[in-house]
Amino acid sequence: MSNLRVVAIARNLMLKNDAIAGRLRERFAARGTLVVNLLSSPGSGKTTLLEKTIEQLAARYAIGVLVGDQATENDAVRLRRDGVEVRQITTGAECRLDAEMIATALDNRQEERYDLLFIENVGNLICPAEYDLGEDLRVVLFAVTEGEDKPLKYPLAFNTSQVALITKTDIAAAVGYDRAAATASIRQVNPEARILELSARTGQGMDEWLALLQERISAKALAPAG
Amino acid sequence: MHEISVALGLLEGVETTAHEQGIDSVRAVHVRIGAMSGIVRDALLFSWDAVTADTICEGSVLRVEEVPLIVYCERCGGERAPRPGSGLLCPECSTVAPHVVRGREMELVAMEVPQ
Repeated sequence: MSNLRVVAIARNLMLKNDAIAGRLRERFAARGTLVVNLLSSPGSGKTTLLEKTIEQLAARYAIGVLVGDQATENDAVRLRRDGVEVRQITTGAECRLDAEMIATALDNRQEERYDLLFIENVGNLICPAEYDLGEDLRVVLFAVTEGEDKPLKYPLAFNTSQVALITKTDIAAAVGYDRAAATASIRQVNPEARILELSARTGQGMDEWLALLQERISAKALAPAG
Repeated sequence: MHEISVALGLLEGVETTAHEQGIDSVRAVHVRIGAMSGIVRDALLFSWDAVTADTICEGSVLRVEEVPLIVYCERCGGERAPRPGSGLLCPECSTVAPHVVRGREMELVAMEVPQ
């Protein structure tokens, strides 16, 4: 029993990520780049939302997109178009993006000057929630098909997001979506989140989302780091 | 498999301290993992065995202290433990208590090494 001794270490495992995220945040502030980290399960509509969002905003803003996927480049290919820089981060075994991956992806670019940088995280509601990427806005998506109690099953993702987007509302009636239940479960883990409902396919609700982004882009551009 | 990268982070932390103190063998490692951290204990134990092969931690035991979710309820004026699956709902007064006091931990606490 006494042939072992205890050595205290006391080390927070997230410290390294948080330190890199802090440096990213300073860099984004200095450049006036609004950074939006999109979280959701696979198939909630992150890429479709981005396609439609970029379509509407690309003429007015310099937009960059970092897309995290474990294996393919399909999402990045879908998002590429004139004036929008899309970079794929293939995470391999990792189920989420971390701040170091973002720093590495950006360091390979000459002086990025984005008004808006989207980070499409790996489709997963557990691991990505732990990792600060230096973003201004964390946006969690869930589709009307997913079950209204999803926020209760993945509380951290919803608790740490400032915006909750309920997507695919064009099929809400067909799947028996219960708006009151969905809203209540979001509120149960995050009373302050801004909740928006939209369908990227029909455009319903997109105006409010675009207005929110534009408001935040302006605010970030006018407030460079002191 | 979030747990693999967490296990690698633990190993890195242990190796750093061990190196500083001239320790070349580790028998046990103590960690604290919060209920809200998304870490699955069994997956972490499995990952630990996998990542420690051929390291100073090979064959060591990972002792996981699970930290329950504790929120601060403003209405009750105290710390409360929400029921599983109820989000951040105070179990006493059923209002939402968004301040997480404990439950997000992912901490390397200590290691046990030969005298």
